[in-house]
Amino acid sequence: MNNGRILAVVALFVLMTPTVVASGNDSYYIFDNELQINEGITIETSIHIEVVEVKRFPLGCAKFRITSYQKPERMMTVFTEDGPQANRYETYSGASIYLDVIGVYSDSVEFRIAGPSNWRVTDYYDVEPDEEGEATVAVTVPKLEITRTLGTTSAEQGQTIEVTLTIKNTGNGTAKSITLDEPKIRGTFQDEYSSTIDDILAGETRRVKYDLKIVDAEPGTYELVPAILNYKSDTGTSYSSESQSSVLTIEQEEVLLPLLEVSIESARLSGSADATITCGDRFPVTITITNVGNATTERVNVKTDLPGDVRVVDGESEPVYDAIKPGEDEEYEITMIATDEGKHTIEVRVMWADSEATAYLDFWAEKSGLEKYYPYVLAAVPILLLLLWSIKKHRDYSY
Amino acid sequence: MLNILILGLGQCGNRILDAVNHEAFGRGGTFAKYYSRQKFPATVKTIAINTAINDLKGLEYTLAKDRLHVPHLHGVGANRTVGKHVFNENKEMILSEIDKRGTFDLIFIFTSTAGGSGSSFAPLLVEELKKTYTAPIICIAVLPFREEGSIFLQNTAFCLRELIDMKPGGVLLVDNQYLKKYAGDIKSAYDRINITTARRVLFLIEALNSEMLMVTDLGDLKTVMNGGVGVGTMGFYEASKDSNIKSTILGSFKPSGLLFPANVYTDGARAMLIIKGDKKYLDLDLITKTVEELSRDVGQVFKGVLVKKERPKVLSLFTLNSVPELDKLYAAAADAIRFEMDKRDKSKKQLNTAFSHIDDLEPIY
Repeated sequence: MNNGRILAVVALFVLMTPTVVASGNDSYYIFDNELQINEGITIETSIHIEVVEVKRFPLGCAKFRITSYQKPERMMTVFTEDGPQANRYETYSGASIYLDVIGVYSDSVEFRIAGPSNWRVTDYYDVEPDEEGEATVAVTVPKLEITRTLGTTSAEQGQTIEVTLTIKNTGNGTAKSITLDEPKIRGTFQDEYSSTIDDILAGETRRVKYDLKIVDAEPGTYELVPAILNYKSDTGTSYSSESQSSVLTIEQEEVLLPLLEVSIESARLSGSADATITCGDRFPVTITITNVGNATTERVNVKTDLPGDVRVVDGESEPVYDAIKPGEDEEYEITMIATDEGKHTIEVRVMWADSEATAYLDFWAEKSGLEKYYPYVLAAVPILLLLLWSIKKHRDYSY
Repeated sequence: MLNILILGLGQCGNRILDAVNHEAFGRGGTFAKYYSRQKFPATVKTIAINTAINDLKGLEYTLAKDRLHVPHLHGVGANRTVGKHVFNENKEMILSEIDKRGTFDLIFIFTSTAGGSGSSFAPLLVEELKKTYTAPIICIAVLPFREEGSIFLQNTAFCLRELIDMKPGGVLLVDNQYLKKYAGDIKSAYDRINITTARRVLFLIEALNSEMLMVTDLGDLKTVMNGGVGVGTMGFYEASKDSNIKSTILGSFKPSGLLFPANVYTDGARAMLIIKGDKKYLDLDLITKTVEELSRDVGQVFKGVLVKKERPKVLSLFTLNSVPELDKLYAAAADAIRFEMDKRDKSKKQLNTAFSHIDDLEPIY
């Protein structure tokens, strides 16, 4: 009998003595035990924490009703997964306590309360059922969660993006006087955008949409800062919540324009180390016109400017094309001949619409090694003709 | 424009023809034929005809196509009998070749009277041409050097007789013997005679084919050539710096200007004077007066005046009533024939006497 009394005294002592726990913020566990539903404790004679409801599924949690001096009643739902620092309750004096649910049972919950090291549980009590009903009716708090969704995160000038703001009232009260503050991007216009939103009932989800038109925004990457919701509860208490930030890339508007490039090459000249040909020799030249733009050209005219002593001996030097599609090219070959020595430049101009492209081919022409013999040949020709004439005449007179 | 055919027969005729072709090149030298063209005063066709191919090869200014070889070894060897035979055998070929040259207004035949081919062909060719062509045929007959040999003399005698018998349009004599005195050696003499003859013929052709200040023409030529015995010759004179037109005309009758020795004033039958020169030298009154004076001695004298910017030149062409020089030539020819006959008889007798030494003998082996 004496042994039983001794154990009861020890147990009461243990319960009355605050458990000192070394934590990350040097707090002490004011309470670390199990309470049943409708049981409560009093900390430092002014903070009342009562177990209102427990749930084991889908996640283990417990709802506590917390009241303290000069503070309205607050319902706090603490999940087993939240961790020791997630659920804070701040008292009127500014001191904070933290609720951490360790385990949830069918009608009880094991939890800890961390707080100042000098605080103690001053009372254990049972809650009358009438008291519980009055508390449930009295506390209705709306809680809006807002999520922004963009129709596309990349757009061009002139494009319209559908922006959807999904607002969910996860609280137990109706959110009223809701105002939405959605940031703007310079050079854009928010079409059908309204900054006021009708009341959202508890558990209701509302989708607000508007069109974000990109008018003349500079190309680049923009961060849409979070949208802010301001709302009030039935009791007139103001709340606010914000969405996540979003990233929008505005790209340069694609302009459809044909763009021609012209090149002029000669295999004959390429084969020569110093781009030299012999006067009088024929050499082929290949002209390639490529549409590197993104649109089909209109009529394309080619103008070939040749030096006076260079002439085309074969091929069409100034062709006309009705159109050249993007990525396609037209190629033609002409054969030329240079009569005089020296440096020559062939200029090919391709003209379409109001634009033109030009290519040049520089080469040197030199006389052949036989040139120095030309005077002798020229001198020999009449002599030869005279000789032939004389031979003929001689034959005429030979019998 | 007159169409004229010039035929050169035999070696002599060929060379005179070659000289004509040479002169037609103008003042060009030896090589003129290689760069120049002949400038005949009329449309002139020439043919050199010969049996001796080497003679034809020796021509320099006559086109090969205008050289006609009548095949017979290398000539007829001055034998007119053989020559006539060869002509008759080839006359179709000869006439065909002439016919290819077309029609003619005047035909000249150059030939030697002494040689083989020319002297034998000429009379027969005249006969054949007269059958085909109506154009007057003027034969330029060249007489040989008298010392060239008895055969040449007898050929000349018979050729000339036959030629005149064929009655060509006329026979103009060129006497080598007479002209030899104007040249040193035989070669030079031949060349000079040929060139002189050629120039006078071209002078005549030019005159007949030109517009004249005082006109003489082909008809007058025929009339002149029909005069006398149908035999004549040509004279020529080029005025010196101080001579007037009268002295120039009379100079053409001087022996130095004639091709055959003749006394025009005593033997002349008809004459034609062709005067060419600058107008400032051509005193028509004086020309007319001089011609009238000549007519008193010579008879009919035709005159033609051709204006050219050069010193006056006169070509005289006349026929003769008598040809004393031919008498001498025929006498010499007859003597030569007789001498040749006597010589041959003696040689034959001498040979027979020699043979008689073995009349009764037979060869013994």
